[in-house]
Amino acid sequence: MQYRHVQVIDGKGALHGIAVDRHGAIYAAGETEIKVFDAAGRLERRWPASRPAWSVTVAGDGTVYVGEVGQIEIFDAAGKLLNTWRDDKLLRRVTAIGFSRDSVLAGDSADRAIRRFDRGGKFLNNIGKDNPLGGLLIPNGVVDFGVDAEGTVFVANPGKHRVERYAPDGRLLGHIGRFDGNDPAGFTGCCNPTNVAIGDAIYTAEKAGPRAKLYDFSGKLLAVIATDLFDPNCKNMSIAVDGRGRVYVVDTVKLGIFVFERVSA
Amino acid sequence: MSDLQTRRDLFSTVARGTVLAVLAGGAGFLVKKANGQVVWQVDASRCINSRLGEVGVAACNLCTTECVVALSAVRAVNEYSRCGRCNICPAYFNITSAVNELGQPSEKLCPRDAIRRRPIGKVDPEDPANNFYEYVIDEEKCDGCGKCVMQCKEPLGLGSITLRVRYDKCVNCNRCSISTACPQKALMQLPVHQATQPAEVQRPG
Amino acid sequence: MSWVAKTGSALARLALLVLALGGAWSVHAQAVPYQRPVETAPQQDTIGGGYRTPAVQHPLPRDYWLQVVDVVALGAAMGVSIWLVLKRRSRTWLVALAIASLAYFGFYREGCICPIGSLQNVVVAIADPRYSIPIVVTATFVLPLAVALFFGRAFCGGVCALGAIQELVVLRPIQVPRRLDRALGLLKYAYLGLAILLAIRPALAREFLICRFDPFVGFFRRTGSPHMLLIGGAFLVAGMFVGRPYCRYLCPYGGLLAWCARLARRGVTITPDRELDCGLCAGACPYGAIEKMRAVGRNCLYCARCYSACPRDGELAHAKAGLVQVRGAGPQ
Repeated sequence: MQYRHVQVIDGKGALHGIAVDRHGAIYAAGETEIKVFDAAGRLERRWPASRPAWSVTVAGDGTVYVGEVGQIEIFDAAGKLLNTWRDDKLLRRVTAIGFSRDSVLAGDSADRAIRRFDRGGKFLNNIGKDNPLGGLLIPNGVVDFGVDAEGTVFVANPGKHRVERYAPDGRLLGHIGRFDGNDPAGFTGCCNPTNVAIGDAIYTAEKAGPRAKLYDFSGKLLAVIATDLFDPNCKNMSIAVDGRGRVYVVDTVKLGIFVFERVSA
Repeated sequence: MSDLQTRRDLFSTVARGTVLAVLAGGAGFLVKKANGQVVWQVDASRCINSRLGEVGVAACNLCTTECVVALSAVRAVNEYSRCGRCNICPAYFNITSAVNELGQPSEKLCPRDAIRRRPIGKVDPEDPANNFYEYVIDEEKCDGCGKCVMQCKEPLGLGSITLRVRYDKCVNCNRCSISTACPQKALMQLPVHQATQPAEVQRPG
Repeated sequence: MSWVAKTGSALARLALLVLALGGAWSVHAQAVPYQRPVETAPQQDTIGGGYRTPAVQHPLPRDYWLQVVDVVALGAAMGVSIWLVLKRRSRTWLVALAIASLAYFGFYREGCICPIGSLQNVVVAIADPRYSIPIVVTATFVLPLAVALFFGRAFCGGVCALGAIQELVVLRPIQVPRRLDRALGLLKYAYLGLAILLAIRPALAREFLICRFDPFVGFFRRTGSPHMLLIGGAFLVAGMFVGRPYCRYLCPYGGLLAWCARLARRGVTITPDRELDCGLCAGACPYGAIEKMRAVGRNCLYCARCYSACPRDGELAHAKAGLVQVRGAGPQ
C-alpha cells in the first residue's frame, strides 16, 4: 500500500488535536481556539474556547466537542457554545474525545484513563484504569484513542508499545503491536505510538523518528505512510482519517497539517 | 655598627613596614570583596547533548576527554522526579539493537554499564511491560560521555538526564579545561548554591 | 456586482491562492516551538507500592573548614621550616619537612590551591570588580610573602610542593656562572608579567598561565597530557644537575618572594670568620645564594645545605656572645 503526500495545510498558529468531519472539513484545536479548514486547506472560520484546548472531535450530527483543561465544551458547527461539561476531577486534561454507540468518551491524560459519559454528561465508567498501574502508561502527557464502527475503543498505550482494545465498559479485549527499534512493524523508542486513529484500519503516529503508519485490525503492518517529511523534533502528532482514506497528521514543530492520500491498495 | 649599616637597616625597616602595609591593605580590600566560592557547572540549555532541537547528532564526549582529573568530574545525573520510568528506556537500552525474547533490546547503551534498572511500585507479575522502572546512574562508573543524555533528550525521552559537574570530584580549576574546549560554551561559573540546583533546559519558541 | 467589486474579489482570490501556496513554504521558516509543556513524569503516588522518589545527590565542594585547615597548615609548615633552618639548623629534618609537604600539599591536595597560582587570582580580583576571590586564596597568597618580609624565602624551603619535588632530586648540582644565573633569573619576572597580563583580560579571554603550564601538577594528579608530563619529567631530570631550575628561573611567585626577602631582617646568614673562610658552604649551596662568603637572601631557598656543610656549625649554632649577625654585603 502506498501513500502520496498531497499538501501541507498551514495551521495558522498552535495545533494540538485535529478531527475530520463527513464533508472533509478539518477541525483543529489551537491554543485557546478552534480552527476549521475546508477540504482544500483554507481557513474557513475560527472561534475561541474559554480554556486552553487540547483536542477536538466532530459528532455525527455536526456538533463539535472540544477537550480542554478541566472541561469539555460543546459547540455547534458554526461555533456557538451549546453546553459545557465541567469536572475538575474527571476531566483534568482532555486530550482525546470519541463516541462509542451512545456514549461520549474523553481521554484524561492527567489521570491516564478514558472516561465514559452518556450523552447527557453523566459519568458511567473508566476505561484503562483497571490494571496494576492504575492507568495507561502515558509519559508524554497525551492520551489518544479511536473508536471503530462497533464501538470498540482502540487506545494508544505508548509505555507498553501497544494499541489496546477495550470494550466500552472497560474490559480489555486484546492488543496489537510490540517494541522494535529496527523493524518498522514495531514501535520504537521509549513510548510509542503516541496517537492513534481508527478508520478502515488502525492508523498510528509515532515520535522520535516521527512517522505515521497503518495496521490492519489483526496487527499486521500495512504501510508506512511517511517518515522523513516531518520535523524530527515532533511529539504527540495528532492523526485523523476521513471517509475517503485520506490521512491527516499534525507536524507539531512546523505547525502544519500534512495530508496524505492512498494511491494503491 | 657603622653609619652605613644603621642607615641601611633603617631603610630596610621602613621598606619592610611599607610592603607589609601594602600587603595588609591589599588583603583587606580583597577580603571585603570576598563573596563565597564560584564553581564550574554545565549549562544544560547550551550543552549539545541536552539542548532541545539537536536530533541525529552524535553525543559529545568532550567533558570526558578534556577534564584534568583522571575520571572526569562531569557525570550524567538523572533527575528522578522528571524521569518517565519507562520500560524501554532509550538511555538504558540501545534501542537500535536486536530485540530479545523478552521483547526488550538486547544491548545496553552505556559503554561502562553505569546505569542500573529495577522495577518499582506495584509490580505486575504477568506483564513486565506493565511496570515502572527506576534508572539509577552509578557515579563511580560514569565518565560523562553523554550518550545517555543525548538519548534521554526530548522528543525521544523526557530529558531527565543531564551532564553535571560533581564537586566531590572537581578540583575547581581557575580555567576549566572543558570550558576552553566546549564548542557550545556550555561551562560557566556559578555560586555554589546556584550550581547545585536541578538542571533546566530552555524550551525554544 | 460592480467591476470594482469583481476585480477586487478576483484579486482577493488570487492573493489567497498565493498565500496558500506560500503558506506551505512559510511553515518551514517559523521558529521551532515546542509542545505545550506538561508535567508528565509519574510521581511517587502514581507509581504506588510505597515507592519514594529518591533525592538527587548534589555533592558540595570541599568544606570551608578544611580549606582553612590548608591555610593553617601552610603557615605552620613555614613556621617549622624557619625553626628547622634558623634554629635547629638541621638539613635532615628539613628534608623530612619537604617530604611531608610534598605528600600533603602535593599529592593529597594535588597541588591546588598553591600560592604560585593564587597570584593570578589576586591579580584578577584587583582588575575585575565582579570577580570574587575567596578569603582562603587571599591568605594563601599573602602568608608566604609576609613571612618572606621577615625571614626570607621560608616558603621555598620545604613547604612549596613544587620546590620540594625538585629539592628531592638534586643529585650533582653544578654552580651556574653568576652572569648566566642572573640573566636566567630575569625570566621569572618576564613570566610574572606575562601571567599578569593574561590574567587581567576579560573573563572569557582570561588565561591562567601558571596553572596551565605547571610542570609538576601532572605528577601530583597522577594524570595529565603527555607533553606536560614530559616537560615535568624534563624539569626533574634537569633538576638533578641544575638545582631547582623552575624555582630559580621560572617561578613568578619566587620573583615576588625574592623582592620581599631582600627586606628581611632575619634569614639564613653566613657568619664572617677571619680565621676560617673555608668556602665549604658556598660549594654546598646549589642555588647560588652565597656570594663573596655572604648569604644572598633573595636567592636563598632555605635548604640548609650550607649549615650541614659547615665544619664549625656545631660551635656557631649554639654560641651566644661574640657572634655577629650581619646580612650579606653583596649587591642587593
